[in-house]
Amino acid sequence: MIETVSTFEIIVGVIGRLWPVWLAIGAMLVFVWFYKRKLGLFGQLFDSSLGTAGVLLCAFWVFTAIFADIVAPLDARVPIAILKNALPGSVDPESGTVFLFGGDQLARDVFSRVVYGARIVLTIAPAATLIALLVGAALGLPAGYFGGRIDAFLSFLANLVLAFPVILLFYLLVTPGIMETPIPYTMAGVLFIIPIIFFCVMWITRYGARPARMWLFVGLTLLIGFWIYSGLVFNADPLGIIRIEPNELNIFVAVVFASSPGVFRIVRGLVFDIMTRDYVAAAQTRGENPWYIMIWEILPNARGPLIVDVCLRIGYTTILLGTLGFFGLGMGPESPDWGTAIKDGSKVAQLRLFPWQGVVPAFALMSLVLGLNLLADALREESLKD
Amino acid sequence: MAATAHEMTTAAAANAATEVTPILEIENLHISFHTRAGEIPAVMDYSCKVMPGEALGIVGESGCGKSTVALGIMRDMGNRGQIKSGKIKFKGRDMGEMSDAELRDLRGAKIAMIYQEPMASLNPAMKIGDQLMEVPIIHEKVTREEARKRALSMLDAVRLPDPARVMGAFPHQISGGQQQRVVIAMALLSNPELLLLDEPTTALDVTVEAGIVDLVKDLGKRFGMSMLFISHNLGLILETCDRISVMYSGEAVETGRVTDVFDRMRHPYTQGLFRSIPLPGANKHARPLIAIPGQLPLPYERPVGCNFGPRCDHFVAGRCDTGEIPMLPVSGDDGHNSRCVRFDEIDWLAEPEGIRTNDAVEPGEPVLRIENLQKYYDVAANKMFGGGETRTVKANEAISFVAREAETVAIVGESGCGKSTLAKVLLGLETATSGRILLGDKEIQSISVESRGPKLVSEIQMVFQNPFDTLNPSHSVGSQIIRTLEKFGIGKSDTERRERMLKLLDLVKLPRAFERRMPRQLSGGQKQRIGVARAFAGGPKVVVADEPVSALDVSVQAAVTELLMDIQRENRTTMLFISHDLSVVRYIADRVVVMYLGHIVEQGTTDQIFAPPYHPYTEALLSAIPIADTSVKKKHIVLDGDIPSALNPPSGCPFQTRCRYKSEVPDNLCEREVPPIRNLGDGHNVKCHLSDDILSAMEPVISFAGKEKATTADA
Repeated sequence: MIETVSTFEIIVGVIGRLWPVWLAIGAMLVFVWFYKRKLGLFGQLFDSSLGTAGVLLCAFWVFTAIFADIVAPLDARVPIAILKNALPGSVDPESGTVFLFGGDQLARDVFSRVVYGARIVLTIAPAATLIALLVGAALGLPAGYFGGRIDAFLSFLANLVLAFPVILLFYLLVTPGIMETPIPYTMAGVLFIIPIIFFCVMWITRYGARPARMWLFVGLTLLIGFWIYSGLVFNADPLGIIRIEPNELNIFVAVVFASSPGVFRIVRGLVFDIMTRDYVAAAQTRGENPWYIMIWEILPNARGPLIVDVCLRIGYTTILLGTLGFFGLGMGPESPDWGTAIKDGSKVAQLRLFPWQGVVPAFALMSLVLGLNLLADALREESLKD
Repeated sequence: MAATAHEMTTAAAANAATEVTPILEIENLHISFHTRAGEIPAVMDYSCKVMPGEALGIVGESGCGKSTVALGIMRDMGNRGQIKSGKIKFKGRDMGEMSDAELRDLRGAKIAMIYQEPMASLNPAMKIGDQLMEVPIIHEKVTREEARKRALSMLDAVRLPDPARVMGAFPHQISGGQQQRVVIAMALLSNPELLLLDEPTTALDVTVEAGIVDLVKDLGKRFGMSMLFISHNLGLILETCDRISVMYSGEAVETGRVTDVFDRMRHPYTQGLFRSIPLPGANKHARPLIAIPGQLPLPYERPVGCNFGPRCDHFVAGRCDTGEIPMLPVSGDDGHNSRCVRFDEIDWLAEPEGIRTNDAVEPGEPVLRIENLQKYYDVAANKMFGGGETRTVKANEAISFVAREAETVAIVGESGCGKSTLAKVLLGLETATSGRILLGDKEIQSISVESRGPKLVSEIQMVFQNPFDTLNPSHSVGSQIIRTLEKFGIGKSDTERRERMLKLLDLVKLPRAFERRMPRQLSGGQKQRIGVARAFAGGPKVVVADEPVSALDVSVQAAVTELLMDIQRENRTTMLFISHDLSVVRYIADRVVVMYLGHIVEQGTTDQIFAPPYHPYTEALLSAIPIADTSVKKKHIVLDGDIPSALNPPSGCPFQTRCRYKSEVPDNLCEREVPPIRNLGDGHNVKCHLSDDILSAMEPVISFAGKEKATTADA
């Protein structure tokens, strides 16, 4: 018979294992307490209780992901056979390690898997959202600014992608048959080159009158850009730091592809609004390049709604990753990501007999998305206040 | 008999009582808003009375609390506003003691409010008829037929043409002026005893505004309503109101009968206001405007004692900055009060000190020549696939005029007259359809701004209208000016450009520390100064100023106008001053071009334009401008209807649909042919069919009836 610890000890154990997270949140709160007035919008978030809750939830998961190696007692993929489907609080008789949230059907520690899952979710979701933001902005700016045929064409493409059923799209992109074709790599190649071009245009238009600075920035952008690019698209990072599994790349591409049309539409709408301002006319009358106006005059003033959208969108992407994992798409079967874990735990027998296997990762997913939504709401509220 | 007599006495008593009971009485009202920065008092110690049938004007600059007073009367201040103390009595009853149900009955039925933006007061998803009929149906529970009848007759009363058609229209299908008339009709349908008007004409064109003002005055008389008229425009108050209350920084500083306050002002702020608006006597060379120095204090930084103290010429330390300053009665006038402890020590007729007069500037050679300029836009129905019918908007039609060095040419006209299109073509944001624009001896009509090159671009620059929009809120002030210098190719290095940027800040009289400020930390006037600095950064030959001061407060307007003219005088820049406000134009311009629906209908020197003979449109425009001077007598001309759409202009003369002289031209010529340009001598051109006899028989619109009074006051 396997020994188990009491509920109270489980709670104490979880809180104890998360000590680096509490420490980091505490440090953040102390920092905010002293510099609140200088932090602008971020400081104002703490004026409302919902905003504070959003920040705390997000911070909790971010720090959990960062300190996953310290927090998790065990490796996410290593089974301890005796603890298959073990109850929460079961103790491994050999090493004395406690499976705080029990074991799953492959005898792995649910707690450790959820902690490592946070790392996967919180790498892919924000990164994919940021790339989607850049792609959406790079296309939405000219569509809104030039209007006419360019707008009609780009909007048509965006509507095409938006009209396509997302899950079907993912099935197509992530199925092994497609994965072996060059399609995902081509798409990755196209999607990931857009941010590099975007940043180069940004520096060239801004520092045209100061060539030294311009070439410095363009050079740095190209260097860093193509380093990441080579790692992501060709999996050939010369330094070997950036590496991405082919199936992860597929998910990444799929998420960027599916969410950039949404960003595109928001940016386009914002451009329509901001374009009517006199400072845009002022820039035009001093002969600015259209791309300068788009990137330096219009985009910074669209940041408010975009920040809110990014927060919400990271939440959607998190759910999307969960959905993909749930359908068994993308991530490998061993992967500790929450979607896969929920899928494994949600088989009828599993859910009835060992509910913790599905409930714990589902709760993790819910709390992170809730935190992001609260954060987005609070950002919107606070930015509307005087 | 005795009973009848008794009844008669009570009736008389009741009559007497209604005569003395004011419709609205506000006593020592304090209203505060709760914001993140803490509690901010918006209105302090405000008192006023509105008698039956009387119109009270509240005038003041933005942020003075005038709208808050109106919202306080309606008890509609959102969840952040709160009436801290004081009483608002409606017909003798304290509104603070009424229940919510009673207040609801009062609002809309006995007290109605009209806001600035008509479109925001109308429900865009409901037909106008339904919206109007709702009022009597809800308040008086009448039948639909009865409500419909009343709505129709009310639309007729507000002089809307074709009320039946308007009833069936949605709000966006009628023009702004018509919308405001509908809003007024809606307010009047419940037979209110008090009408609150919050800047009801600010969003409208001047000739349309004149029609609305005329209507409001007339309705006030016909229905015997009391009115509370809130405006920043002293001229409008003079035309509409019996009594006036001048507000500054949350307090009433002077109240009294309009004529008393206008002719014998007893508060330095009121005087400052009058000195900073261009009245007909002002002259940019000999009698320039005098701005009130400093800025309105922020609500949480109000000084101790008199709020106006720090900006006042008559400030005496120890008297003006200690304790509460009460409202003091001015002896001799009825109900004339001033919140100034020194008002009987100040010599109110003394000429202001430190006026700088300037010699008139002699204009030089022509810098800008516009010859027969046309700008048409094609409005296509479908962007992607073409097709649909293409319609042409004739935004500019046969524009010709010349602007000389150091000269100010005003371009006057209302919305849709093509003045903004003209500015766009000049600056290269659009290219001309035909005609020529010569800057110096270079043809620029078809060079778009991208291909103009830094030199040409910096030679013709623009000052924009809206100070809150003119600077990009995301970049610091310094970096925005430096960017302009970079684009103009001025300065070889970063340090050189920064030096030049600091000099530009000096030029527009702003502290050098503003370099690091963000636009949101600047006031409207300061932002507009930065806009001026940016326009003059490259030593332009021509500056197009598109209503540069119309969005600013009166006292700031004067300062920015003077600054603009100083810089212009120094650099001998040609300025095209676009405006709809003829008082400013009379003050600032050397020559005037009057535009209507894309045509130049009249041009000449300022004196020629402001004296007869006039083009009929100029005459109406002149009559429409409210002038804040009791000695000025104006001829009363109100144009019918609204400005036609440029998409569907009338045939023949563009002005024929609204012209009151149309019947004087035989053969319906006005409807058939665009009039030729006629030279009335000395470059005074008029585009009109009227015969010379009629033109020369015109009387001046503005005359000084009270000349004698002015001279006695001077002596």
